[in-house]
Amino acid sequence: MTPGLTYAVIRSHALIGDLLTAEQIRALAESESLTAFIERLSETPYGRISVEAGGDVSIAMEKVFYRKFIERMAKIVDAAPRNIAEFLQAYYYMRFEVLNLKRILRGKFSGMLIPQILDSLIPMEPYHVKSFEQLAEVETLEATVERLGGTPYSALTASMELYKKIEELWPLELALNHIYATTILRSVEGLSYWDRTLVRWIVEFETDIENLLVAVKQRSASERILEAHRLDELFPVTYHVGIDKIREVVEARDLKPVISEIGFPYSEILAPLYEGDVALIRTRLRQHIYRTARQGRSVNDFGYNVIMAYLVFCEIEKDDLVGIAWGKAQGIPSEDILKYLVVPHSA
Amino acid sequence: MSLMSGVRPTKGYLMDLKRRIGFIERGTEFLKLKRDHLAKELSASLEVLRGRRRLLLQSLQEAYRALTAAYLSLGPTEVRSQATSVKRKLELEVLPRSVMGVRYPYVKIVSKPQIEAELDITLSHAAERVLGILEEMIQLAEFEARAERIADELGKTNRKVNALENTIIPSYRRIIKFIEDKLDEESLEELVRVKLIGGALARRRE
Repeated sequence: MTPGLTYAVIRSHALIGDLLTAEQIRALAESESLTAFIERLSETPYGRISVEAGGDVSIAMEKVFYRKFIERMAKIVDAAPRNIAEFLQAYYYMRFEVLNLKRILRGKFSGMLIPQILDSLIPMEPYHVKSFEQLAEVETLEATVERLGGTPYSALTASMELYKKIEELWPLELALNHIYATTILRSVEGLSYWDRTLVRWIVEFETDIENLLVAVKQRSASERILEAHRLDELFPVTYHVGIDKIREVVEARDLKPVISEIGFPYSEILAPLYEGDVALIRTRLRQHIYRTARQGRSVNDFGYNVIMAYLVFCEIEKDDLVGIAWGKAQGIPSEDILKYLVVPHSA
Repeated sequence: MSLMSGVRPTKGYLMDLKRRIGFIERGTEFLKLKRDHLAKELSASLEVLRGRRRLLLQSLQEAYRALTAAYLSLGPTEVRSQATSVKRKLELEVLPRSVMGVRYPYVKIVSKPQIEAELDITLSHAAERVLGILEEMIQLAEFEARAERIADELGKTNRKVNALENTIIPSYRRIIKFIEDKLDEESLEELVRVKLIGGALARRRE
């Protein structure tokens, strides 16, 4: 273990204590109102959250939770050895940057006002691009894509032709996903063999499930998408669930036997599909990643797994809190919110 | 002012009144037919409305659950951002239609949002459910407006029929009776006068 890694691991161990427990998150989800939720949250390491009056409270709180997560992540990235820091930056910062780019492109596509576009972005410093403001301020979507020249996203220009032809945004979003996936794959190689195991497992599993969800969506989507792209272009990165299986999912009349054939844990995670509750699949995916990260941490208490587990826990906590804040703002019953949370069910 | 003020007790006026009351009575019969038809239409509409509402409420609950799940899974900002990328918006055209002379709005869907390509599966699933009931909701709104207008028209027609049957027609009948009585009286007076004159003339000849 390198000294940098030791420090980052010890720091992660210390910071895990700051995370909310399953009971705390359950209690937050069971708060009677948004005010009660904010009040309870003030008793946790999040402290008192002040939200500007007039705007959408749940969106303001979502930003607060994102900031907290990025702040926690930055502490680890700063302390981690270079190869680990590079991977974590690519994994998290680039993921959020890609999300922001998608939101800018969607804003340009639908003719949103610049302040509205900027307001929809995750509050973070740009990672590969120079400035989100500059990208949002250009006149057209074409100009935004041109501005990405000289960054890892410059390959987006290749998808512009299809975008112009069909006047739909998905080719650009697909290209961004592809760029992110290849970058992640490259940066995973920078990790040592032992460090790679947990990361690979999480990244690969997440990609497989997302591929399967896209495949399920293609079943009901128009054939135009499949005509425009070959399956291997729609699914540029596959791991344990290959293109043939994905094709079966797209083409099968009855989904159940095809998914059962993929086997555990995929079949278990995708089971809510049969009842039509697609959102629950993502919850189950997060639960699975949460459990895997926890197991990974218990295997080696002084390795990279501890860092990864800490960041996985942080992100899942953020997702749970975003869901609770929105649910409370909308007056959704606690049991309906709890159904889609991860931490309270992972105790 | 008395009902009879301005009434000219002449045969010409009487004939005009009789022609008018005949017209009014025929009109009342038509209005009664319209009223019965509207009442039948309204009761059938209300029955359909009740059934459709129950079904729609069920579908709405399902769509709301799916949308809630999408928000809880993706977060509010991502849902809003993805929703903006939906290419075609819902476009409606409201046209007038008429049943028994009752005009009600007819909603025509010009274009539906194109959701399948741009949205995440969770949101797409919720959007599909909402889109699925959208047409149903529009139809129900149209049906409700129709029932409301029919009920309005039924009320109006009923008031018209009642006014005609209980006020206008009886008052016309009274005027006719008054004129007929007046004319009978006048003709009797005339007869008496003729008889008296005839008697006087006969006495003078003798």
